[in-house]
Amino acid sequence: MTKQKMFLRMITASLIRRRSRMLVALLAIAVGGTILSGLVTIYYDVPRQMGAQFRNYGANMIFVAADTETGLTMSAAEEAASVIDSGDLLGMTPYRYETVRIHEQPIVAAGTDIESTKVTSPYWHVDGSYPASSGEVILGSDVAELLGLGVGDGFNATYSSGDDSDSDEPNLGVDMKVSGILETGGSEENYIYMSMEDLNALAGEKDSLQVVELSVSATQEELRGYADQISDTSGTVAAQLVKRVTQSESTVLTKLQALVFLVTAVVLVLTMICVATTMTAVVTERRKEIGLRKALGASDKSIIGEFMGEGLLLGGIGGLVGSVLGFVFAQLVSVNVFSSSITFQPLLIPITMVVSVLVTGLACLLPVRSTMAIDPALVLKGE
Amino acid sequence: MFFRMIRGAFVRQWKKMLMIALTIALGASLATAMLNVMMDVGDKVNQELKTYGANITVVPKTASVVDDLYEVEDGTSASSGAYLREDELGNIKTIFWAFNIVDFAPFIDTSAALYDGGEVTVVGTWFNHHLDLPTGEALNTGVHSLRTWWDVTEGEWLDEQTFSGEQGAMVGETLAKQENIHAGDTITLSTKHGSESFTVAGIFSSGDSADDQIYAPMDAVQTLSDTDGKLTSIEVSALTTPDNELAEKAAKDPSSLTISQYELWYCTAYVSSICYQIQEVITDSVASPVRQVADSEGAILEKTQLLMVLITILSLVGSALGITNLVTASVMERSNEIGLMKAIGAKNGAISALVLTEIILTGIIGAVIGYFAGFGFAQIIGQTVFGSAIEMKPFVIPIVAVLVIAVTLIGSVPAIRMLLRLRPAEVLHGR
Repeated sequence: MTKQKMFLRMITASLIRRRSRMLVALLAIAVGGTILSGLVTIYYDVPRQMGAQFRNYGANMIFVAADTETGLTMSAAEEAASVIDSGDLLGMTPYRYETVRIHEQPIVAAGTDIESTKVTSPYWHVDGSYPASSGEVILGSDVAELLGLGVGDGFNATYSSGDDSDSDEPNLGVDMKVSGILETGGSEENYIYMSMEDLNALAGEKDSLQVVELSVSATQEELRGYADQISDTSGTVAAQLVKRVTQSESTVLTKLQALVFLVTAVVLVLTMICVATTMTAVVTERRKEIGLRKALGASDKSIIGEFMGEGLLLGGIGGLVGSVLGFVFAQLVSVNVFSSSITFQPLLIPITMVVSVLVTGLACLLPVRSTMAIDPALVLKGE
Repeated sequence: MFFRMIRGAFVRQWKKMLMIALTIALGASLATAMLNVMMDVGDKVNQELKTYGANITVVPKTASVVDDLYEVEDGTSASSGAYLREDELGNIKTIFWAFNIVDFAPFIDTSAALYDGGEVTVVGTWFNHHLDLPTGEALNTGVHSLRTWWDVTEGEWLDEQTFSGEQGAMVGETLAKQENIHAGDTITLSTKHGSESFTVAGIFSSGDSADDQIYAPMDAVQTLSDTDGKLTSIEVSALTTPDNELAEKAAKDPSSLTISQYELWYCTAYVSSICYQIQEVITDSVASPVRQVADSEGAILEKTQLLMVLITILSLVGSALGITNLVTASVMERSNEIGLMKAIGAKNGAISALVLTEIILTGIIGAVIGYFAGFGFAQIIGQTVFGSAIEMKPFVIPIVAVLVIAVTLIGSVPAIRMLLRLRPAEVLHGR
């Protein structure tokens, strides 16, 4: 009982009396802990966050009709998409293409869900604005140039159903207004985009889509799994990966992950050695104390025990402070770089504390042991 | 005397000095490695992002009435008669930002009849074409490096320079399955201008419309479609700087810029300025950024760079605190020595100078070792992750030097001042 009390008193006394030195040691450990927990949190979060950035490339999976006879319907596509984890499915955009006539020119019109194109085609540059009300359309820039239309202009579109021999009663067409001009640098510039309702009004109701684009936050393997599962289970939907996007994403993402991993490893190893040397320096300074205690008859075990106790306490406190600061840092990075917050990993607190204690303990043990190997008389004499 | 004392400190207390030098070396190597990696990461990631393929397409100016529209209507390609000129291709590598042009490939497409009469789209292009530039340089470029996502499922990539046999071609997977074409087969394509036979070098799967097409060397397709020396489009893959406000303004209308803005824009590798420069060297062309690639590249590049900057700042702060700590600890340890010196009449200035010189000398040694160690760490990262060396930026040296000296001073000065305030009798007494 008294022995334990003495032990505790010696540890606390050494921490309080040697305040400035202990502060230095604590600071060193806390810095180590901050770097450890901060970088590890970032390392685990980067793939997710970066993956979200890669969704800028747009859709990475498409649904087409498995059988051209039956076609593809929105309800079938939605059912097929239910296989995908709803948290991973970022957006799903249906497209129905019809050839319409504007100023007697044949133009391909796409009926779509304008809101969700913002997710599946985030790279679209729309001059003007996205359609806000019915009857408003986005014109591909090539079409706009061909027709000589600009933002705000109105035009009349007619639909010639498939082959002209059908001889429908002359249709008067629908009046539409250009709300924006689309620039992508790709083939989208040759189409006009309107809401599904507008296209239905223009070309007649038809529950048949050419393609559904999906933006899914998943790795290439997961995507392939989803695609196979969908193609197997659904009779009407064939899922395909947009290889250009998925393949390149997995290449680049692997590299980025490797980069963050290596950087984390290098920084951690160097920082831990740094912490260890500082602790060693702090302990080495107390050679005299060790010598004195040995001369007074303290056993090696009790001395090591006391130093370890100190190290444990310092390592624990430093690790705790460090893990909190590390989370703050990781959060700062996440908010600044990816403008999204990070989830707190409670497991990191004990891990950081254990690593800190281990590093501190090891750093204390070496100088203490080497001091004890020497004759106390020599140590006290200062040699 | 001063130098003798310093030398004495290094000779007799080498262990302690080694420890300080080691810590400073660790901190300096961390700073060096992180700064170098951070400054090079943009270029490296930019190179990696080239796997997404071309970020600029060049089409003839008057072809805005693209045949896509007519294709849908009549099922045949009705070219509008506007073409780019093949002999100007080399010019792309002569623009201001020529060094940033990684790859490019010309395209000419036509539709031709396969033996059984079925119409297929044949795309003439370069696979890995050897090109001698007007500047005297030479390069190999073509779709091989622009279509990294193609999976060659049968046979292999067509190598233009070493392909034995008459003429090679590559066939899309869907078409190959449909027509039962295999690698090594000979196919004959005919148009009203003549017919050509090709040996199939490989079958590829691309996951897009190219799966239904045949890719063949450009000359052969030009013969087939009677368009010698003409091109329908060029794809260019260029290393670019993410767009900012200036670039967006310039992209709309370069003439709206002031002269200094224009120069800044023209001399920065924005995708819009590279497009503008390509238009200058290719007659009657419109070069436009492929938004899907160009925009995403910008976003990813920016994020990666910012991420690395923040990690670098953390490790710089970490190594600075580490060094400061150790220096403070090792100065405090010397309270006895300083007390003794004071007791025998040393001036505060002399003591400070002595301690500082010792520490800074150690710091310089540590920093030099650390710089080279950091160089090594940066190379390890570069080689492992990107398979290429990290370029060493010379201005990292002054940054690391200033950091080490500042940090050493910050670490030692308060400790020395604190020790100087102590009374020698107390210190020597051992309190």
